[in-house]
Amino acid sequence: MWDLNAAEVLKAKFPEAIIGVEESRGEISVRVKAPELLKVCQFLKEDPTMKFDMLVDLCGVDYPEREDRFEVVYLLHSMERNRRLRLKVALREGERVPSVQGVWKAANWLEREAYDMFGIRFEGHPDLRRILTWDGFEGHPLRKDYPVEGPEEFRLPEEPPDWKPPSWFLGQEGEGRYMIVNMGPQHPSTHGVLRVVLKLEGEQIVDALPVIGHLHRGVEKLAETMTYHKAQTLTDRLDYTAAFSNNLAYMLTVEKLFGVEPPKRAQYIRVMLAEFSRLASHLLWLATHALDIGAMTVFFYAFRERETVLEIVEEISGARLTPSFLRIGGVAKDLPQGIEERIEQFLDELPSRIKEYEDLLSKNVIWLRRTKGIGVLRAEDAINYGVTGPVLRGSGVKWDVRKAFPYSSYEEFDFEVPVGESGDTYDRYLVRLEEMRQSARIIRQALKKIRETEPGNILIRDPYLSPPPKEEVMRKPHALMRHFKFFSEGPSPAPGEAYMSVEGPKGELGWYLVSDGSPKPYRFRVRPPCFLNLQALPEMVKGHLVADIVAVIGSVDIVLGEIDR
Amino acid sequence: MEFVYFLIETLVKVVVVFAVVLLSVAYMTLAERKVLGHIQVRYGPNRVGPFGLLQPIADGLKALFKEEVIPEKADKVVYVIAPMIPMICALSIFSVIPFGESVKVLGREVKLCIAEVDIGLLFVFAMASLGEYGIVLGGWSSYNKYGLMGALRAAAQMVSYELALGLTVLGVLMVSGTLNLVEIVRQQIEGHWFILYQPFAFVLFLICMFAEINRTPFDMPEAESELACGFNIEYSAMKFAMFFMAEYTHLLAACSLATVLFLGGWDGPWLPPGLSWIWFVLKVAVLAFFCIWVRGTYPRLRYDQIMKFGWKVLIPLALANVFFTGLFMSL
Repeated sequence: MWDLNAAEVLKAKFPEAIIGVEESRGEISVRVKAPELLKVCQFLKEDPTMKFDMLVDLCGVDYPEREDRFEVVYLLHSMERNRRLRLKVALREGERVPSVQGVWKAANWLEREAYDMFGIRFEGHPDLRRILTWDGFEGHPLRKDYPVEGPEEFRLPEEPPDWKPPSWFLGQEGEGRYMIVNMGPQHPSTHGVLRVVLKLEGEQIVDALPVIGHLHRGVEKLAETMTYHKAQTLTDRLDYTAAFSNNLAYMLTVEKLFGVEPPKRAQYIRVMLAEFSRLASHLLWLATHALDIGAMTVFFYAFRERETVLEIVEEISGARLTPSFLRIGGVAKDLPQGIEERIEQFLDELPSRIKEYEDLLSKNVIWLRRTKGIGVLRAEDAINYGVTGPVLRGSGVKWDVRKAFPYSSYEEFDFEVPVGESGDTYDRYLVRLEEMRQSARIIRQALKKIRETEPGNILIRDPYLSPPPKEEVMRKPHALMRHFKFFSEGPSPAPGEAYMSVEGPKGELGWYLVSDGSPKPYRFRVRPPCFLNLQALPEMVKGHLVADIVAVIGSVDIVLGEIDR
Repeated sequence: MEFVYFLIETLVKVVVVFAVVLLSVAYMTLAERKVLGHIQVRYGPNRVGPFGLLQPIADGLKALFKEEVIPEKADKVVYVIAPMIPMICALSIFSVIPFGESVKVLGREVKLCIAEVDIGLLFVFAMASLGEYGIVLGGWSSYNKYGLMGALRAAAQMVSYELALGLTVLGVLMVSGTLNLVEIVRQQIEGHWFILYQPFAFVLFLICMFAEINRTPFDMPEAESELACGFNIEYSAMKFAMFFMAEYTHLLAACSLATVLFLGGWDGPWLPPGLSWIWFVLKVAVLAFFCIWVRGTYPRLRYDQIMKFGWKVLIPLALANVFFTGLFMSL
C-alpha cells in the first residue's frame, strides 16, 4: 500500500529538496522543503514509474511549540500502481508554500481549507479565499491557540459576507449579458445548505460556483477536546445518511493508532453494518435524485426500504441515524436475537424492490433523456479532481477501497465492483443501483460468516482499551477504578500518525489522526469524499441547462454535513 | 316576461355551476393527494374529518388566514391582479361547456349549459390562452429571478402547445363542421363518439393538455426542483391559493373539453335524460384520475426537450392528422 520505493527514488533524485523519510505505523512520509515542493510534485505525477495521479488529501497540522510551526500534509495515490505516499512540508508562520493546484485540481479547495483553518498561504493559488468560514472571519480556527469556545468577543457579520461572488467569476465584460442566479442555500434541490451561484445565459449555464460552509460546526476542532471514544459521536454527524461508515473509518484509524485488531465476529458485524449504511445512503440518494427529476413515486418507494434498513440498524445498534456503535477493538453489543431472520427476509425482498425502481426509471424515456449525456465527467478529470466512490466508478475507473486496500476482512467477501462507461448521470445511477445489489450480497455472506463465529466474542480483551463489564464495576474495587480511569481519562496511543480509509457510500472516507501521546487526538482530520466530489461540479454542469444542475447535484450525491464538517 | 325567466334561469345555472366547479376543485386537490398517496404506498391526508374529507376546507381556511407578503420591489398592481386572471379565465371556460341533456323544470326546457354559443370552442381556447397571462405577469411582477424564469418558460410553452392543441382539435372540427360544443355532442350522440374517428387526435390532445395545464411531465413554469416553484415563488396566502385553484380548475376544464370533443359528452346508456350529466361527471373523473396517475409515474422533462417535443413532434403529427382527416373526408 505505501510506497517506500518511491521515497527512496525521490531521495536519490532530489537530494537538495528532501529532508528525510519517516515511517510511522507502516506509513511512509517524505519531508520536502517548501520551495522545492512543486518540482517534486510534478515529478511524482508525471514520471512513468511514479504516476501519482490523484491527490487524496491535503491538510494542515499546527505545532505551536516548533519553530516551523505548520505542517502541510499531502496524501498522494497512484491509480495504476495502487500505491500511496505522503508528503510533508514544514512552514514558519508567514512563510508561503507553492500551490499544487496546477498539478492536481483537487488541491484548489483543499488548499483553501488549509488557508481558512490555519492561515497557511499558498503561492500561486488563483482563488485563495476562505471556504468554510466567511470573508472577514477573524482568526484561523484550527490553530492550537484559537480557543474552542471561540474568541471572547464574537460578532456575526451584519450582512451576508460572501453575498457578492468574486470578480473573476462575474467576469469583466458586460455584467448585463449574464444573469446571476443564486441557487440556495435555501433551495429544495441542493440537498441541504449548499449554495451554487449560477452564471446563466438564458437557461444555459455558463459557469457555476459552489459556495459551502453554511453548516460548518468545527467538528475537527471539537474532536481535539474529546477522548478517542467520545469523538466517535462526532463522526455520526458528518454523513448522517450513513453514519456507520463514518464510525468504521474513524475506529479503524484509532485501532491502527493503538495497534489492535478486533475479533473476526466483530469485523463481520462491522462489514454487515457498513453495507447496511451503504444501502441506507443509496436509497436516500435514489429517492431524492428521482424527486429532483420529478419522479415523485420513486421517492416514497425508496423510503419504504430505507425505513426497513434503519429499523434493522436500530435493532442492532439502538439508534437509527447516530449509532456510535463501535468500540476500540470491536463493537458495543452482539447481534440481538431474531435479527438474522429479519435481515434475511429483507434481503429476499430487496431484489424485487430494486426491480420496481428500475421499472419506473431505467427504461423510462423521460428519465433517459434527463440523465443520458448529462454531467459527463471524464475519467482523467475525475482522478485529477480527487473524485472517488460511485462518481469515479461511473466515469469508468474500477477502483474501490474495499478491493484496493481491504479493511475489516473485506478480502474474504465475494462481490463485484460495477463501473460505468461514459461518466454521465445515467451511468452513476446504474452504478449505484448495482452497488445496492452487491451490498445485499455482501450482507448475506457476512450473516453466514457471523453464524460460524463464536457468539459474544465481539471485543478484544484488553484491560487498557476496553472498560470492565458493568457487573464487575458494581462489585470489585479495582474494576470500579479502571472504569473511572477509562471514562474520565481514556486510553492514549503512542505518538505518531495514522491514516485509514473505507469505501463509504459516497467515496473514499478517510481519517488522518495525529497523536501526541495524550488520550485526545492532536489532529483529527476527516477526508470527506463529498467535499472533493462537489468540487468537480462546475466541470460537469458547464454548458448544460438549469434543470440539469439539479440532476447532476443529485447524481453526485452530496451531504453537506460532511462537506462543511 | 320571458326575458325575466331567462335571466333567473341563467343566474341559477351560473350559481349552481360555479359552486359545483369550485367544490370539485377543492375536492380535486384532496383526490389528487389521496390517489397519489395510495400510488406511493402511503395514505394521503386522513386527519381532518372522516377520511380527511374536510382537508380542502381546512386548507382553504389556512390560506385565508395566512399573512399576505408582497415583495418590496414587486410591481404591486400587476402582482395583485395576476392571480385573479387564471382563476377567472379557467372558470369562464365552464360557461360554454354543456354537461347534460336538457331538462324540464316547471314546464320550461332548461339546457344544461350556461350559454350555448356558436363559437364555443373558440371561446374556450381564447380563455385558456388568456389564463396564461396570469402566470406570465405573476412571475414577472414579483421581482424574482426564479419567478421570471418560470414566467418565460410559461410564455414559451403556451405559444408552442396552444398551436399543437389547436391543430389536434381541428380534426374534430373537420368531422363535425361546427364550433358549437352542444352541436358537437349532439352529433356524437346521433353518430359515434369522435374518439372513433379521431383516436390519434385524442392522444395528441391529452399530451398537449398536460402541457397546457402545466402538469407533470410538462410542469415547467413550476418545476419545484429547479425553480423552487417558479412563477408563484413569491406568492403566499390566498394569492397562492388562487394560482393553485386556477390550476385545478383548468385541469377540470381541460378534462371536460376532452369529454365533450372526444368522449361523447353526456352520452351514455341506462340513465334517463334528466340524469345524463352523471355520465359526463364520470368521464371527467376518469380523465382527471388519469392526470393524477401520470403525475405519479413520470419524471419531469427538461425545458428544451419540451420545446423540441412540441415543435418537432406534436405539431407535425397534428398537421398530419389534419391532412389525413381531410383526405378521408374527401374520399
